[in-house]
Amino acid sequence: MANDTSRLWLMYPTRLVTRPIIWELCKKFEVTTNLRQASVNEEVGLVCLELDGERTEIKRAIAWLEEIGVKVEPVEINTIEG
Amino acid sequence: MQKNTPSYFSNLKCRECGRLYPKQAIHVCDFDFGPLEAAYDYDAIKAALSREVIESRPKSMWRYRELLPIDGEPTVGTQVGFTPLVKADRLAAKLGIKALYIKNDTVNYPTLSFKDRVVSVALSRAKELGFKTVACASTGNLANSVAANAASAGLKSYVLIPADLEQGKVLGSLVYGTNVIGIHGAYDQVNRLCSEIAGKYGWGFVNVNLRPYYAEGSKSMGFEIMEQLGWRIPRHTVAPMASGSLLTKIHKAYGEFTKIGLVEDAKFSIYGAQATGCAPISHAMKKGTDIVKPVPKPDTIAKSLAIGTPADGYYAIHVMRQTGGTAEDVSDDEVIEGIKLLAEYAGIFAETAGGVTVACAKKLIEAGKIPRDEEAVLCITGHGLKTQEAIQGKCGTPRLIKPSLREFEEQIYLPDQAATAAKS
Repeated sequence: MANDTSRLWLMYPTRLVTRPIIWELCKKFEVTTNLRQASVNEEVGLVCLELDGERTEIKRAIAWLEEIGVKVEPVEINTIEG
Repeated sequence: MQKNTPSYFSNLKCRECGRLYPKQAIHVCDFDFGPLEAAYDYDAIKAALSREVIESRPKSMWRYRELLPIDGEPTVGTQVGFTPLVKADRLAAKLGIKALYIKNDTVNYPTLSFKDRVVSVALSRAKELGFKTVACASTGNLANSVAANAASAGLKSYVLIPADLEQGKVLGSLVYGTNVIGIHGAYDQVNRLCSEIAGKYGWGFVNVNLRPYYAEGSKSMGFEIMEQLGWRIPRHTVAPMASGSLLTKIHKAYGEFTKIGLVEDAKFSIYGAQATGCAPISHAMKKGTDIVKPVPKPDTIAKSLAIGTPADGYYAIHVMRQTGGTAEDVSDDEVIEGIKLLAEYAGIFAETAGGVTVACAKKLIEAGKIPRDEEAVLCITGHGLKTQEAIQGKCGTPRLIKPSLREFEEQIYLPDQAATAAKS
């Protein structure tokens, strides 16, 4: 299976700010996480993360993040403009 | 313009850590994922560029070529820019400010929005880098501009759009013979797909892998404002914010002209305008934080500004704070009022983003944040013909009469009105 690297911004809503999401992600999926930047306050968490692993596993990990309410964007953030 | 102008564009540089990168189709720092931006040899530019040299060149954005990130001569969009800076005295009186200028990119060539500036640079650089296919993901202005400029340059182009985009907006891209691809899915998924396509295929995605070049094009709006004001920086500038990029690039432009001695160092303030239905930067600014909280579902008629996760929000906040400016946001009703004010008092028909800028300026003046006894420049970025549906039914209707003078006098222009008009 092809290995892939995804560079992503994760944005946590307020209710998830205190949850150890990256730890949970590592437990649930066969992916390597590499934290590159983060800003967290009581209202929002912004985490820049590199994910290494099989392409399908990365896709599953992203789907899980979205399912629990984390917004997942590419590092470019908005590739769609007006 | 002189042939074979040397290039002063030296590197790409990470905005976070300052690491230097080669001038390729890359856009993110490998170390901290910070955005890359163009760096220049300002000492050499200072020695080579003067007001006289610029004034001797054709009236386009490329008269500031030394401060734009290409190696050779521009090959795409050579006639873009140098739009009018209109002194809008009637609108100034209406808003209660001493002097007001409109930087009027509603008449930018060829697609009537400021996006022609950024696309012109991105595609000129794409050709230098050897790209044969260019692409973008857009809901309007950017798509139109990529399609038109790629067509004139002979580049193959792809325009990616959300599948449910209104057909009217698609037409302005289809007409240029581009490949329009509708994508089913939520905004975040479309974003990730575009990023993957840009990474996997050898396409020049104007706002992904060509982003450092694309973004620099916005500086030309700032350069023109200073030249058209008589080589000086305006005291107050109001710009619309989608990603926040335009505002940061106007700031960079003011700084560059100062650095190379084309204008005197002067105090200036920059203000950002958003629609309340999607105002993540304005809300963060007002809360006093630089962490921009995403807006999951933007809800505003100002669709060209409706970016819920603004890439340059953090940097825009720092520019506003550093220059003593601030951010403001307005409701959709105020946006329409802004469009009408600009049309009725300055004769300029702007799209919804223009309405946002005018309405925010009005609020800033009323609140005393922009002092009434000073001057302001408003950056108006796109033509009203692009968003006609926003004001449909909001400007009244024509009054209908039969072709008879009696009916005209009875219903439209009463004889006593005519008599009053004749006396005055």
